[in-house]
Amino acid sequence: MPVARSPIAIAPPEAVVGGWAVSARRSSADLVLVDCSAMTTVALRARDSGEVARALGVTMGRAARQRWGDGSVPVLVVGSGPDEWRALGPPGTLDLVVAHLTSVAADAAGDDLVSVVDLTHGTALVRLTGERSADLLAHETAVDLSDRAHPDGAALRTAVSGLAADVVRDDQGGVCSYLLGCERSSGQYLFDSLLDAGGPLGVDVDGFASDDEEPAHVR
Amino acid sequence: MTATRRLDPQPGEVIDRRQRLSFSWNARAYPAFAGDTIASALAASGETVFSRSMKYHRPRGLLTASHADPNCTVQVGDEPNVRAAHRLVEPGMDVRAQDAWPSLAFDVKAVTGLAGRFLPAGFYYKTFIRPRSLWPTYERVLRRFSHGGVVSPHRPGSEPQRYDKRHVHPDVLVAGGGPAGMAAAVAAARSGAQVLLVEEDHALGGHLRWGDPVELASLAELRDEVAATDGIEVLTDSVALGCYDHLEVAVLQRGLAHVHERLVKARARALVVAPGLIERPYVFAGNDVPGVLLSSAVRRLVNLYAVRPGDRAVVLTANPQGDAAVADLERAGVEVVHVVDARRGGDVVRAVGRSRVRAVELADGRRIDCDLLLTAVGWTTPATLFTTAGGSLGYDRRTARFWPDAPRLPDGVFAAGGVVGDGTLEQLVEHAGVVGRAAARRAGAGSGDPPVVPELPRNPHPELFRGRTHGIVDFSEDVSSRDLVTAVQEGYSSAELAKRYTTATMGPTQGKVESVNVLAVLAEAIGRTIPEVGTTTWRPPYAPVTLGALAGPHRDPVRRSPLQPWHERNGAVPLVAGAWIRPDHYGDPVAEARTVREAVGIIDVTPIGKLDLRGPDVPKLLNLLYVNRWSRLAVGRVRYGVMCAEDGVVLDDGVTGRLGEEHYLTSTTSGGAASVWEWAESWLQTEHPDWRVHVTPVTTAYASISVAGPRSRELIARVVDDVDVSADAFPYMHVRTGGIAGVAGCVLWRIGFTGELGYELHVPAGHGLHVWERLLARGQDLGVRAVGIEAQRVLRLEKGHLIVGQDTDGLTQAHDVGLEGLVRLDKDDFAGRPELVWRAQAADERRLVGLWPRDEATVPAEGSQLVDAAGRLCGRITSSRWSPTLRRSICLGQVAASLAQSGTEVRVRLPEGGFAAAVVTEHLAAVDPEGVRVRA
Amino acid sequence: MILIPCPWCGPRDAGEFGYGGEIVPRPDPRTATPERWRDYLYLRANVAGWQTERWYHRMGCRRLLTVRRNTVTGEVRPAAEAVER
Repeated sequence: MPVARSPIAIAPPEAVVGGWAVSARRSSADLVLVDCSAMTTVALRARDSGEVARALGVTMGRAARQRWGDGSVPVLVVGSGPDEWRALGPPGTLDLVVAHLTSVAADAAGDDLVSVVDLTHGTALVRLTGERSADLLAHETAVDLSDRAHPDGAALRTAVSGLAADVVRDDQGGVCSYLLGCERSSGQYLFDSLLDAGGPLGVDVDGFASDDEEPAHVR
Repeated sequence: MTATRRLDPQPGEVIDRRQRLSFSWNARAYPAFAGDTIASALAASGETVFSRSMKYHRPRGLLTASHADPNCTVQVGDEPNVRAAHRLVEPGMDVRAQDAWPSLAFDVKAVTGLAGRFLPAGFYYKTFIRPRSLWPTYERVLRRFSHGGVVSPHRPGSEPQRYDKRHVHPDVLVAGGGPAGMAAAVAAARSGAQVLLVEEDHALGGHLRWGDPVELASLAELRDEVAATDGIEVLTDSVALGCYDHLEVAVLQRGLAHVHERLVKARARALVVAPGLIERPYVFAGNDVPGVLLSSAVRRLVNLYAVRPGDRAVVLTANPQGDAAVADLERAGVEVVHVVDARRGGDVVRAVGRSRVRAVELADGRRIDCDLLLTAVGWTTPATLFTTAGGSLGYDRRTARFWPDAPRLPDGVFAAGGVVGDGTLEQLVEHAGVVGRAAARRAGAGSGDPPVVPELPRNPHPELFRGRTHGIVDFSEDVSSRDLVTAVQEGYSSAELAKRYTTATMGPTQGKVESVNVLAVLAEAIGRTIPEVGTTTWRPPYAPVTLGALAGPHRDPVRRSPLQPWHERNGAVPLVAGAWIRPDHYGDPVAEARTVREAVGIIDVTPIGKLDLRGPDVPKLLNLLYVNRWSRLAVGRVRYGVMCAEDGVVLDDGVTGRLGEEHYLTSTTSGGAASVWEWAESWLQTEHPDWRVHVTPVTTAYASISVAGPRSRELIARVVDDVDVSADAFPYMHVRTGGIAGVAGCVLWRIGFTGELGYELHVPAGHGLHVWERLLARGQDLGVRAVGIEAQRVLRLEKGHLIVGQDTDGLTQAHDVGLEGLVRLDKDDFAGRPELVWRAQAADERRLVGLWPRDEATVPAEGSQLVDAAGRLCGRITSSRWSPTLRRSICLGQVAASLAQSGTEVRVRLPEGGFAAAVVTEHLAAVDPEGVRVRA
Repeated sequence: MILIPCPWCGPRDAGEFGYGGEIVPRPDPRTATPERWRDYLYLRANVAGWQTERWYHRMGCRRLLTVRRNTVTGEVRPAAEAVER
């Protein structure tokens, strides 16, 4: 397969991870933005009678880090909406993620309709990390992102810079961090808006690193 | 510039004498200290005239020396309408008077003052009306006299000013940073609430800042408490503009390093209104002469800025604040020549002077020489936050002021400080503390029963609004009490009407300083009491706000196709379609269209809406949404469908293909991608929640490429990995899935809106650019080229394919565009069915037809009206282009049904003037009407 | 902006939603007369006071929801019965 490209222009130097061209730039700033669109995104829809949520281990509005496959593949499972989940895995793990979701849901949903749809190519993902992440986002979204309203592990969908976006609080090594996702064609615009809003806060672009390694952009 | 009027250091001064600055006022240099406002620095240098009044161009000096001072609006550099008594001096600032010509000292326009008796209130409605031919002249003259500063046009290359917005969610928002506000904030934070404390001035403290030593000590104590208490965010140089639904408060913040103005949108759970009171001027002859100031203005000048405002003073006082001003004057070395005590019946009837007070005439006949007159006749409650939050105020004679109607304060709104009572500083601070705890409790912080807020005493005050003579009531609009009386005499006898007729309270001060005096004068003129006159409606914004702050940072959502980098590198002319940027053409749309007819072209059609449908009940959904039948679409087949709304109007069209047993892919128009999804969801969630269908939008998950032309099959064959694309294996209106150029998971369907043999490829978006470039590389010898949207439009038009929203409008039903053959009225309920049934039984009113102008070179503008032989309007041109294939102009249009027969001639009314004849064609398609080429 | 109480996401700014208007029951399309059908399409009660209306959470959970809103005071309350199953 040829190398896939993100909707967001890659900050040089370029590298390839899991079949995707990514940025290998290293920044030491306290507030960084990383294009994570290379990650695998799969959507699961099934009637939420509770069984599916139980089997997946995540209810609506929450996100959890799990290990799939033989226990080595880190996957962020998000309760992204009513009857709706998203599984975010490392680049190039589509088959594994689809297989896991399909089998879990089939067991739990009984006769109800289950659909598993690959949205990897349809999603732009951006990770914002740093103590002042919430301050930056306060310029671009109206929802309350304080610790008590939206702590680590909380997930919601709202308007960010005028786009419908999933906002998952997923702290990295104790540092406040958010994963934001929107539909692909608006990815560059979302990235640019966040860079603009964060200019006075000193935001910088960092390169993508797999979840498994120690994230190089966390200080 | 006269000698300095700067005093020795004062205990509460806010200036920093170690930092000397220089700035210019009307092109002359003046000194200042850090912390000076423009007005205080000028006053320290002895300047007394700051502006000219709006109508009569009378010289004006400081009145309130505060944020709300109506007389010192100036131009700072490129920024107009700056309030000089609030804006801090910066080194090198270029400050100029507004609206005085040729200079502040000698203003030619003051001639209007001499013509004053001919320019009463409402003169705008009575003059400059006839003759109409002179309106351009009147406009030029009036513009010279109109009020306001200057904004220069944006200079290309210069850095635009930055504005932004910020969202906050405090438990308690305290509006006002005086002693009550500070005490309420501290108490609320100590109860566990997150507090946002908003203060209009540059520092917390309110009136304590220019108080006596005891008040200054309390100020320091309260400031320390605020700083030491966790959970309080303080915004200074910030003002609450108004309270909106569900306790959303808009706060305008200035004084930020990177941002000119910031709009802070605060969603609070409780609001404490503690704005303090605003001092009221006294209405009498000469009350607007420079040197006539309010007592609070003098106290600010002396105590905050160490400025001696005059040498010989007369004071009219009716309250303790006026008495305190006398003490401040004496301490500043000003000779207080006479104190007129209004509580004992003393009164002032005239201030004599033109650009400076020279003398004051008292009611008892005495005339006293002086250069300074202070008035302290009463206090006004700022009402905006109360009323925009849904509350109201009532007037009380005994205290001569308006009070918030406490029992009817909206839920979550509290009040503290001078607006709800008088008393000692200790009483006010203690009261505010209870209010703060109550607000915190309301916001969900703290525990136990909500505290009961005690009552504060209300001190009596004489009613002093207008004296025995007439004077200025609204300083910024130059409305005198005589003008108000005239308005009443002309019949404008309610507050709302008199306000609009005279423009009183409609200027930059928006009633803060003058509203109660306006009501008092009206009441007097009408012969009613103040409550009977009623008040005008207070509306946000409370303070002036730039349009930039309301707009926020420049945020224009842009949607890009994965192929956009290629388009940009290859000279595509951009076309903005909604939020998408699309390639209109690459330099030669005619050549691009010819390539599709003769060889093969590739078109980026990614914005086409795509919906992934899964589940056993998908055919039910398709039958519901489309007008045609969908129960028996086999796997691998594609069908065209039209959707109508519940009123039978054409909503959208597209093709749907069956990819698997329970897996379909529906395409919509690019403009309808979001609305069709919403349409489908509304049906599934309301009328048919029992159906087992999942709809997932995948519009941007695929890069969509149209490959069209007689050689398209050859090209496709060179790039597909595992799909048999021979004519027999892949017939027209079929769909296949497979790999293209090494990319798995692609969808190919064979359809053709251009009328040529063609395919639409849907490639996972991350690989879209790769497949596009592979097509161009492999098709070189076939003559492949990239084709833009303009060429695609021409090709579609040549084939008569209508465009929903272009050739149809909000009234067009399926029958109007010749699609009635598609409609299956024998189906069960589907969207639009009832109207389509009734329509089938009714006569046609209009139809979509092809039209060829008789002159092949005339391409009528889209939207041109059609007229029949009798000159009546009978339709319009909906699509119009020059056809490179036929070498003539071709159109589609809607015409009255009676004219829809082939061969009928109509006239097109051209927008540039004149008419063109056009003939109705037999088919909508101009090229290959039988559709032979697409089925090759 | 007013806050809309979304049953799934909690109270959110009205700007996140599309407005569906006053809820009018859909007549049986097989038996409705043209007058009845067009009432359903075009006529609304437009009360000054409490109104039951539909909102679509476009920027959030993408569910249709029902609220009761007082068109005079701006107060908004969740509807007693939800739209979803």
